Amino acid sequence: MSKPTADWEKVGDRFYRKTQLYTDVFDQDLELENYVIAGAPYSGAVALYRDEDKLHAYRGTQTAKPTIDIFSCAGKLIRSLNIDKGIVKALGWSEDETLLVVTNDGTVRCYHNLQNDFTPFTLGHGAEEHGVRACRFWLSGFVALLNNNALIAVTRYDEPRPKLLATPPSGDVASWAIIPPAYTLSRSVEVLLATGKTIYVVDASECEDRMLENGPFKHIAVSPNGNFIALYTDDSRVWVISSDFQNRLSEYNSRVKTPPKDMQWCGNNAVVLAWEDEVHMVGPNGAASKYFYDSWVHLIADTDGIRIITNDICEFLQKVPDASEETFRLGSTSPASVLIDAVDLLEKKSPKADDNIQLIRPNLDEAVDTCVKAAGQEYSIHWQKQLLKAASYGKSVLDLFNSDDFVDMCETLRVLNAVRFYEIGLPLSYEQYMRLTPERLIQRLVNRQEYLLALKVSDFLRLPLNKIYVHWARQKVRSSNADEESICKDIVHRLDGKRGISFEEIARAAYDEGRSKLAIELLNNEPRAGKQVPLLLSVGEESLALDKAIESGDTDLVFYVLLHLKKKLTLANFFRTINTRSMATALVEASAAYGDRELLKDLYYQDDRRLDGSNLLLTEALKQSDSQHRNDKLKLASKLLQDSREHTFQVKAIDESQRLLRIQEVFEKDLGESFVGLSVNETIYKLIKSGNIKRSQKVQSEFKVAEKTYWWIRLCALVSRRDWRELEEMSKTRKSPIGWEPFFNEILGAGNAKLASLYIPKCTSLTVPERIEMWIKCGLITKGAEEALKAKDISSLEMLKNKATGNAVHEIERMMAQLAPSRR
Amino acid sequence: MAPTATLDASDITEKARRDLLQLLEGVRGKKNLVIEKSLAGPVGLFVKFSTLQEYGVDKVFFLENNNVDSTQRNVVFLARGEKARQVQAIAEQIKRVRRESKQDHEFSIFWVPRRTLVSDQILEETGVLGEVNVVEFPMYFVPLEKTVLSLEMDDAFGDIYLRRDPTAIFLAARALMLLQKSQGLFPRILGKGENAKSLANMLLHMRAEEDIDASSDPSNAHVHSFDLTPSATIDNLIIIDRGVDFPTVLLTQLTYEGLIDETFGIQNNQTEVDSSITGAAPSQPPPQQTSGANSQAPAVQPPASSALKRKILLDSTDKLYTQLRDANFAIVGTLLSRVARRLQSDYDSRHKANQSINELREFVNKLPSYQAEQASLKIHISLADELKKVTNGDLFLRVLEVQQNLAAGADPSTVHEIIEELIARDCPLTTVLRLLCLESSVSGGLRQRDLEHFKRQVLQGYGYQHLLTFAALEKIGLLIPRVSAGAGAYLNPLANPSGAATVTDYNLVRKSLKLFVDDVNESEPNDIAYVFSGYAPLSVRLVQCILQKPYLAQLTNPRTTPALNSQPSTATASGNWKGFEDVLARIKGPTVDEVQKGHNAAASQARKTLQGSGGGQVKTSIVFFLGGVTFAEIAALRYINGQLGEKRRLIVATTGMIKGDTAVGAGVEGRSFKTR
Repeated sequence: MSKPTADWEKVGDRFYRKTQLYTDVFDQDLELENYVIAGAPYSGAVALYRDEDKLHAYRGTQTAKPTIDIFSCAGKLIRSLNIDKGIVKALGWSEDETLLVVTNDGTVRCYHNLQNDFTPFTLGHGAEEHGVRACRFWLSGFVALLNNNALIAVTRYDEPRPKLLATPPSGDVASWAIIPPAYTLSRSVEVLLATGKTIYVVDASECEDRMLENGPFKHIAVSPNGNFIALYTDDSRVWVISSDFQNRLSEYNSRVKTPPKDMQWCGNNAVVLAWEDEVHMVGPNGAASKYFYDSWVHLIADTDGIRIITNDICEFLQKVPDASEETFRLGSTSPASVLIDAVDLLEKKSPKADDNIQLIRPNLDEAVDTCVKAAGQEYSIHWQKQLLKAASYGKSVLDLFNSDDFVDMCETLRVLNAVRFYEIGLPLSYEQYMRLTPERLIQRLVNRQEYLLALKVSDFLRLPLNKIYVHWARQKVRSSNADEESICKDIVHRLDGKRGISFEEIARAAYDEGRSKLAIELLNNEPRAGKQVPLLLSVGEESLALDKAIESGDTDLVFYVLLHLKKKLTLANFFRTINTRSMATALVEASAAYGDRELLKDLYYQDDRRLDGSNLLLTEALKQSDSQHRNDKLKLASKLLQDSREHTFQVKAIDESQRLLRIQEVFEKDLGESFVGLSVNETIYKLIKSGNIKRSQKVQSEFKVAEKTYWWIRLCALVSRRDWRELEEMSKTRKSPIGWEPFFNEILGAGNAKLASLYIPKCTSLTVPERIEMWIKCGLITKGAEEALKAKDISSLEMLKNKATGNAVHEIERMMAQLAPSRR
Repeated sequence: MAPTATLDASDITEKARRDLLQLLEGVRGKKNLVIEKSLAGPVGLFVKFSTLQEYGVDKVFFLENNNVDSTQRNVVFLARGEKARQVQAIAEQIKRVRRESKQDHEFSIFWVPRRTLVSDQILEETGVLGEVNVVEFPMYFVPLEKTVLSLEMDDAFGDIYLRRDPTAIFLAARALMLLQKSQGLFPRILGKGENAKSLANMLLHMRAEEDIDASSDPSNAHVHSFDLTPSATIDNLIIIDRGVDFPTVLLTQLTYEGLIDETFGIQNNQTEVDSSITGAAPSQPPPQQTSGANSQAPAVQPPASSALKRKILLDSTDKLYTQLRDANFAIVGTLLSRVARRLQSDYDSRHKANQSINELREFVNKLPSYQAEQASLKIHISLADELKKVTNGDLFLRVLEVQQNLAAGADPSTVHEIIEELIARDCPLTTVLRLLCLESSVSGGLRQRDLEHFKRQVLQGYGYQHLLTFAALEKIGLLIPRVSAGAGAYLNPLANPSGAATVTDYNLVRKSLKLFVDDVNESEPNDIAYVFSGYAPLSVRLVQCILQKPYLAQLTNPRTTPALNSQPSTATASGNWKGFEDVLARIKGPTVDEVQKGHNAAASQARKTLQGSGGGQVKTSIVFFLGGVTFAEIAALRYINGQLGEKRRLIVATTGMIKGDTAVGAGVEGRSFKTR
């Protein structure tokens, strides 16, 4: 076994290593120099597209149709996408391995999950007229540069909203790059444009000149953590500066006349320059290392390193991780390196192994940790094992040690080794795996249709399996040629008893393939009623969709179906569909009440709901401002109910309301005051208050207002009119249907105690103390006392005496005296 | 996911706050906020306007006013997306602003509590979907108090009972589902009433779907591996359908808080009273934290109204109010004077001779709290004074007389005369209707002849447009003609084919659940009946059927006490309806009793073990009022919680606060024949 340090190289004071991942990557016939290449983040798939600008040999008609080919890192063709129209201007990947293809007319196609079908959207903002020149992608979005230098940013792909950034100055853009939103101060994407001698920084709201004078810059690259910027100047120098343009960190002179064709970051501390078959890696402080290849080289930058791809090989260039460096560096005396030595000795059955252990005894736990970490960084299975063995040996010596990390690392390495296998072609580094997360790794496997491996890995990592099953079923629906029934049977049989299967997704796949019948059949297995609705609508099963929506209880869904139905069906059919379903009817009524009255009218008519129909006309009558129209509506309302016996009350009331309106209109003409809108009682009140007693009586008899009610109204109206004379007159009446107490209360409440007192003697139904109380309220203590005297109530007299002042006191004493003898 | 934590209202508040601010932060730069009126209050409960300003909100507009201007590039709408009208309104405003403004605008819509398909469709049809940034603001429950959660849906009562639109029920189910996700399944769901049944069904349904949803939703791939297991802290969910118990809403609430609500109205823990009553608000920002959207914004409210009205915050931050709120109003005067005396003596103690420095320092430290208490005392004295004026009024007493008679089960015809008099005296329509509805509710409808008589009286007294009001009230089931048993199913909309009672037999229920307590003690309550000075709310009695079986049994039938007392204890496993099946059968609507168990028995067992044996655990019962709850009922439930002791916690959840006027008002036709 070669030493792990064999492919290390010292650049400055750091070590870098170049790991060969795969050999025989591409067919030798593939002229890599003529292709545009884009690699998905975290060692994902690689997309190749024939560069239209380059000359290529004429090969007959088969090349007439341009395609985008997606390969794994090991060069296995995963899929070939046909591009039927537009000239592809940019290829890019998002974090979840969605391929984005931007054509010159500003159309963006998102190919999800490495599948053939895509969702398109357009950039707008003039992209169509001016044409797209190039795009720069980050993990969840991209920026497009148009030929007129306009910049358009897209920040999400699920609901893309292309946004125009601030307008940069015109002029030739020598090179450009972006800083992803996560790494900028403004939290909006920033674009660095090298124009003329300087660089402009453009974000959503402004465009700022950074006042550099060493341009034009041939290349700009931003480090993965957004902290540094690498610039390639015209005099073939590389500058590394901080991204706030404040500090120049290092400089390197490549001494090559031709500018490199690509410049990328390798992790956050080295910049890689690529010419046709030559690669320079520039470390900190301008130290550099050169590599030479046999054929054309492409660079694919990743978060912790860079992939170098030629026809023959795929390599991963990265800074040697700290743990590995500590363990394997020549002459290292770190505990970890001693520990790995000890294992070596142990295998040779040398007693020195124990000496080694004793040597590092105080730092043993640290050594074990380092070995575990280093194992994660190793690509060679031999060295992984060796390091884990060392860790295992070390921890067996320790008394107390938490082995969780060790166990996790063993699991992780098993997974990593499995996916690094050339047939899978996912050469993930440990750090990339941590960033990718196991769930998304499973998604990637599923996308490559590696179902078995996906299931095994999921099972091994205790992750849910349902998505894998669903994906499998969808793929089956898409590709299987068997007849629909057997497909459905097969799928249902295979997925029987599995938890959390979304049949809706499978059915949708069937529908998208144009297999509607299969879709419906599959949908029957979906347990969630609500989820079935949209698909049922698309396959034209409206009433079933409505039932399912109602079953789900989600009114939004029901509404949604109803809107759909209303557009699609004739009115009669629509009503027929809803009227057996009470919830649907209720919702239609509720929403139509605010808008579509005609619909409501038709509905009531069709269902023969006369009372509702009449009420609807009533509401309309209320809305009319014109008396003629109002009367018409009211007439209609009453006519609708005319024939049915159970609504006689309603009919009578509507007719009465018309009568009232007529009378009120007459009053308005006669008296010049407004009456319309008042109720019967209010009309009477207003008439009395304005002194039209005769008219008020007419209204009373016309509408058969009860005598009691009339008296109350009259009392209140007179009091509010302060018509004391009339009220005094009324006190002379013999009988009142509402008694006399209200008169007392109302008049007293209006402040006329004198008049109120007139009514006290008439309240014969009240008790003596109550009447005394009334006298007191009027301030007539003596009168009260007389009342008490009559009732021979000595205690009330006492109470009154306390309240009385002046003359009244004597008066009461006299009365008490009158009573006194009789007590004896 | 922390299934072990007890349900804490402040978590919900905090989450809502965080969510909203995060969304606001997502819109870069300064922005104008357009908020639906009915959301302003709830939002004001957890975010202050000053905080919104920190997050870049420049001006706040009400959606209904349709007056958002183009002063800011960013315009944010905050609205409920369930109703098509609302969506339409937003679409139109976006179009208007776009038309009138010279600059480019960025529009965002935060849908509360979820983004709906209908809203998307409408926005698409009006051609604005492409240009707005649409996100969800999942605000369901808003805690009004530590133990009161409300969805604050003002229209819920009208939607459920009048328009039969179950959106509110669905959203309630969603909200409860969220609670289950964080707290674990409710081990038992109990309930009474037609809508309670559908809510319970939805919950069961959602739980079944949850499995799949969780696993097919990419965002929570981690969470799903927990299967929902029964909660260890929540004992049960009791759903009370408002339709089962209308009378409680219709009666005038007689607790302090209830009366304030009846008289001035309480919205989102705030009441608004004439400043002549309490004195104008102090010149510096008032001691109450007036809610964000309301306190500011001359753009929103005409300044004139704020000069005349004063907002008063009524919640548990006011210590004095906490003592007063649940008391019967009859004793509030006494309580207030007691507090006044105590404050005086505390304050006077500063004059005490030879105080040590320490004592002085202590006194000074307490000064701010004295002052706060003093201020709140002043407010409450003036409020109580004003209420006293109302309760002493002739009309109030008359209304109360009718209510007490009806609640006690007197012959309804004895009160007819008073109702007639009230109509003749032009007493507010809602008051009259409340009385009529009350009679209808307790006696299974009005006799046809009486009903028509009163209808005529009301139509003549208040206008013929109220034909519509009566139609609506009948549809709600508040005011119905009495029908013979056979025809009931047709005319009574609450009828259901399941064989459960269609109309509550109040005379029987009143006796067997002792809904009217004659010897009620208002100053030292001995029964929940104190909140209505005699009438014990049926809804709360139902809760007692589950939680206080021995007490209720003893109350209704003193002789059976020993038998029931031999049962283990008040808190049997998770409560059920046992012992009261007969009564329940006579109350309209089906009875719900569902047990929820985890798929994985071992997991739930493990969880229980982790919790420690239930011994020291506080058990929580959630009482959900579908269609609204009154303050009086909350007071009664707080009283019960006091009786049950420390071991149990009652949490009241509801679709919104309700009182008789709003319930009846849902049916009242607002327009008249007035010429415009």
